[in-house]
Amino acid sequence: MAYLQNREPVGAWTRIILAYKRYSGTWAYLLHRITGIGLTTYLFVHIWALSSLTKGHAAFQEEMKTFTAFPFKVLEWALGALVMFHAFNGIRIAIVDLGNGARYQKKLLGAVYVVGIGLVLLMFFLIFQNDLFASK
Amino acid sequence: MQKQSSDHLRSYAKGRKSGAPAWMLQRITGLALVILTVGHYILMHYNPTSGHDYDSTASRLSSPIFKGMYLAFITIGMYHGLQGCWNVVRDFKLRPWLTYTIFGTLLVLGIIFVGMGWNTMLTFDPNKP
Repeated sequence: MAYLQNREPVGAWTRIILAYKRYSGTWAYLLHRITGIGLTTYLFVHIWALSSLTKGHAAFQEEMKTFTAFPFKVLEWALGALVMFHAFNGIRIAIVDLGNGARYQKKLLGAVYVVGIGLVLLMFFLIFQNDLFASK
Repeated sequence: MQKQSSDHLRSYAKGRKSGAPAWMLQRITGLALVILTVGHYILMHYNPTSGHDYDSTASRLSSPIFKGMYLAFITIGMYHGLQGCWNVVRDFKLRPWLTYTIFGTLLVLGIIFVGMGWNTMLTFDPNKP
């Protein structure tokens, strides 16, 4: 954080956040880690929750009643945002590491956000279609 | 002389202690998971019942290809996730006992939960009431 040395003293976290402010790639690095840890945590919950499939039809449907309630639909949609960012930023990382992507990583990051936000908005209509549109 | 890009890629397979093969495997599993996870997420949520209904799940799991794909998905996903967490842990200089404890915890959690997932897939009985 050499380029911030002449500022007035601030807390360590504030300094880190200020240092990251101008660099979209560093934010992507942080977001990639946070979404990655979030998705791994979710994977544990997911495997544990779906183990009720072995308990049979009635038990599974009863459990799914909870998970299709409105708050869980919102969480499901939010999960999609984590998946889309981590997946498309992951492609960007692979292009930077294995190809020539370092030369155009900012443009790739722009594409990650555009494609990601587009798919997240699309998923909004898919997940909430029963709440948004009158059923046939 | 400039190195050929194939040499550049081959050099990642050399080091035994460097973690380079794991780094490469993280890229490969990651790219596989892009297809598997995004496909899985859209398939499970393209309508409100698709991923949350016992009968549609049972009809999908009657296909051995689908079942095999899901076994691979659980394993690759858990490997990539825990390798990623380990990657984050290695960026901090922690005390050795703490590092080993975290490594052990991640390993044990991974084995337990992959086992749980495989158990769900393999002992699933669509005719159970």
